[in-house]
Amino acid sequence: MNSHDDPFREAREKGPILAATFQNETIPMILRLKDIRKAAKDPETFSSDAPRRVPIPSEEDVRTVRQYPLEVDPPVHAAYRKIVEPFFLRPKQPEVLAKIHALIDSLIDKSLAGGPIEVVQDFAIPLQSHALTYMLNVSESEAEHWIGWGIHVFKDGDGKSKGPFMESYCRQMFEAAAENPGDDFFSALNQAELEGRLLTMEEKLGFANIAFAGGRDTIIHTVTRIISYFADNPKALECLHENPSMVNSAAEEFFRVFMPLTHIGRICPHATDVHGFEVKPQGRVSLCWSSANRDPEVFDEPNEVKLDRRPNPHISFGFGAHNCLGAHHARAITRGLIQKLSERVSGIEVLENVELLEEEADYTRKVGYELLRSTFTAR
Amino acid sequence: MPKVTFITAEKTTVEVSDSSGNLMEIALENNITGIGGDCGGVCSCSTCHVYVRKDWIERVGLPDSVEKDTLEFNSHYQPNSRLGCQVEMSDDLDGLVVEVAPAE
Repeated sequence: MNSHDDPFREAREKGPILAATFQNETIPMILRLKDIRKAAKDPETFSSDAPRRVPIPSEEDVRTVRQYPLEVDPPVHAAYRKIVEPFFLRPKQPEVLAKIHALIDSLIDKSLAGGPIEVVQDFAIPLQSHALTYMLNVSESEAEHWIGWGIHVFKDGDGKSKGPFMESYCRQMFEAAAENPGDDFFSALNQAELEGRLLTMEEKLGFANIAFAGGRDTIIHTVTRIISYFADNPKALECLHENPSMVNSAAEEFFRVFMPLTHIGRICPHATDVHGFEVKPQGRVSLCWSSANRDPEVFDEPNEVKLDRRPNPHISFGFGAHNCLGAHHARAITRGLIQKLSERVSGIEVLENVELLEEEADYTRKVGYELLRSTFTAR
Repeated sequence: MPKVTFITAEKTTVEVSDSSGNLMEIALENNITGIGGDCGGVCSCSTCHVYVRKDWIERVGLPDSVEKDTLEFNSHYQPNSRLGCQVEMSDDLDGLVVEVAPAE
């Protein structure tokens, strides 16, 4: 294991928090699984009612809108969430799942056509973008626009945030849907009511913002890390080929160890003692999901990848009221990817890679790849 | 083969004869409303939360520490809560009755 896979190990052994500095703000990162679950269930003390400040580092410079339903607290949070939930449940429908599987098949076809592929650009980003059209029930041709937004809408490799462009695109999509309403995400939000009124444009843009930004880098990194893992561990691919019933537990194990989202923030409305660290009113704490997933109090040999790990109580999709709306989508893509690769591919060789590291003042963590040039061999 | 009865949050009763596997798998095979089984049975998501009828608790047994830690922060946690994915049906449990807990 590389220390960049679990940069919180030493701090977690010493105590329940790591006081880390982000953008000149020192934030206690809660590191242990049980402590995080407890905090995630206490929105009065650890609130999400903080537009653009729930992510750490904050996103005040890269977007103008509050993300819904992420950045609101219960009880109104439930009403916001209910509005978009039907779209996030679509990946559970057999016909949507079949489209995701066909998409993965077509990407594997291209990967096996001869010659190396660059997995980030040629596989993971197209997979995430096209699959999102199925979830949002919009024309698949829209994916071609989104592919250009890169790995992370707000932190693309060229250093320029695509946030303003994405907001402008979404505004146009809401306006177009108002002219020609359909069964798509944008039309549904145009027609949705909250407490007897239509949503404001700011609210609609806030829903769209997280739908596009939230599940983007996370899914892309999960896909690239799984492919890289199979390249390094050909026996795992063989094991899954021989034991297809292990696909679901393997997916959960990959979610645990390759957790792409290091952490997320909460705001303390009042002065709060967080395991000995005094957070001032409106100060923030971090719920460090990626550390919790390696907590040795919960997971035997936490740094080992065990494809059949059960139980595996990871919190890669968060915990409590704000658990990830996109979890069904992520699971459908990840399970489909593992299933199809193990059925059709006998080996993967990485020719060149550039790791994508999250470099902060107090830790460096590997989250995925900027580049992963590879060859696939057919079974 | 053992029989298990699910009572949904809407009070619909579904009896499953010849059940095998764990309660989550049985519920999914029989389209029991309110059982999601999202994580596939690894004790992560709690979408297979059920209440074991009190007269069955002793025979079904209590959750281990990992399952209890997952359950105890659930808004609808009760002392007779179990995750369906952690309860394997057997002849000893023939006649078991469980209620589906409300969604989190």
